[in-house]
Amino acid sequence: MQFELRYQPAHTLAIVHLSPGEAIRAEASSMISMTSGLAVSTDGPLARGRGGLLRGMGRAMLGGESFFTNTFTAVGGAGHVTLAPALCGDLLVHDVRPGEDLLIQGSSYVAAPDTVTLDTQWQGMKGFFSGESLFFLRATGDGPVLLNAFGAIQTIDLDGELIVDTGHLVAFTSGIQYRVTTASPGLIASWLSGEGFVLSVTGKGRLYLQTRNPSEYGVAVGSSLPPREA
Amino acid sequence: MRHEILDAPNFALLKLRFDGAGEQAVAESGALVAKSAAVTVQTSLRGGLIAAAKRSVLGGESLFQNTYTAGAAGDELWLAPAAEGDLKGRVLSAGESFFLQSGAYLAHHGPELVVDTRWGGVRGFFGGLGLFLLRISGPGTVFYGSYGALHEVEVGPGGYTADTGHVVAFTEGLEYRVRPFGGAKGLFFSGEGLVCDFSGRGSVFLQTRSPASLASFLHPYRPVKARGSSE
Repeated sequence: MQFELRYQPAHTLAIVHLSPGEAIRAEASSMISMTSGLAVSTDGPLARGRGGLLRGMGRAMLGGESFFTNTFTAVGGAGHVTLAPALCGDLLVHDVRPGEDLLIQGSSYVAAPDTVTLDTQWQGMKGFFSGESLFFLRATGDGPVLLNAFGAIQTIDLDGELIVDTGHLVAFTSGIQYRVTTASPGLIASWLSGEGFVLSVTGKGRLYLQTRNPSEYGVAVGSSLPPREA
Repeated sequence: MRHEILDAPNFALLKLRFDGAGEQAVAESGALVAKSAAVTVQTSLRGGLIAAAKRSVLGGESLFQNTYTAGAAGDELWLAPAAEGDLKGRVLSAGESFFLQSGAYLAHHGPELVVDTRWGGVRGFFGGLGLFLLRISGPGTVFYGSYGALHEVEVGPGGYTADTGHVVAFTEGLEYRVRPFGGAKGLFFSGEGLVCDFSGRGSVFLQTRSPASLASFLHPYRPVKARGSSE
């Protein structure tokens, strides 16, 4: 399996080259095109091997991941599938290794082969207060994970502490711990700063940030659109 | 006429340079960025009301088109599509055809070039997700734009499948068929909607982002209509 990234960074397209027998599981609606010989199966929350109904729903509702995923398998000969997210921006491939998991902000996940397992990381009440969806998908196993970013990607090799806005967080390796904190001392100052709750991340590992925040963009553009029905 | 594409691929701009007085280029209304002062503009319903309405309703193209006529050799015209992304030109020989997805058309030149609507799909049944095509026949040059990058794929013997929302254009010599992705279950659950299966020999041009996906992302951020509002 080979990932080829084209048209970086503004409108990146991922071309996933599959050798005979290889398969990639991708988020619903991320497929742009494929060689016609690929076999496609749609997995819902009831699909076997993905944890059953509750875990599937958990991933979808808490993780920001789509409810359904499509699996593309190269049967017969080699083939490729091209994938891209809805918004403008870059894509990246991170190799998950045994012993070093990747925690992914739900809507940043695009695709992975079956050698990588995804599970919802329940954040408890600290996630609830952050205002932004603070549910992570934990990718474990051995293999590549395709992630998307809104805007460009900043890769940070962390050794220490950093304060990160949750809307700009894409993913981080499991050697990094995090806790929810306020951007400014005191709740009111923090709220007024427009930053609300942020994450304090500490430890040693890799951190990926996106240079734009999807919900800030949604508010900036969406608020000037005509009202919709409730 | 000479053409040059500037600022590709993210904010591509078309620059045309006329060879002599009286030479013409046609562009979709709204595409003008700038022009030499001596270039005159005439707005028309090209091909008459019925043909224009058909192109507009079925093809997603604007009802009006502007014809730009050079006042002198060396006059210039700059044109741009609406969405951020790339644009390309396709030089067609006499009798050669090229198919453009609705809305991708930007401009053309060549007095004998024909822009015709060819209804490509299953719109009535699948609620507007069909493939609406303009059939462009040479001789002449047509310019078309994409949302995001333009990705060209050569269709191999095994065929090629693409999401209809990402198909911008394709060359003649390809057969195509629109179908729900992954069967009936796929149409509702796969999130992909309709796809187009291409077979034969030729090239397909895809856009790496889709305006409909952006609209779906933004929809929840729209303000909610107040209860009892008359609007």
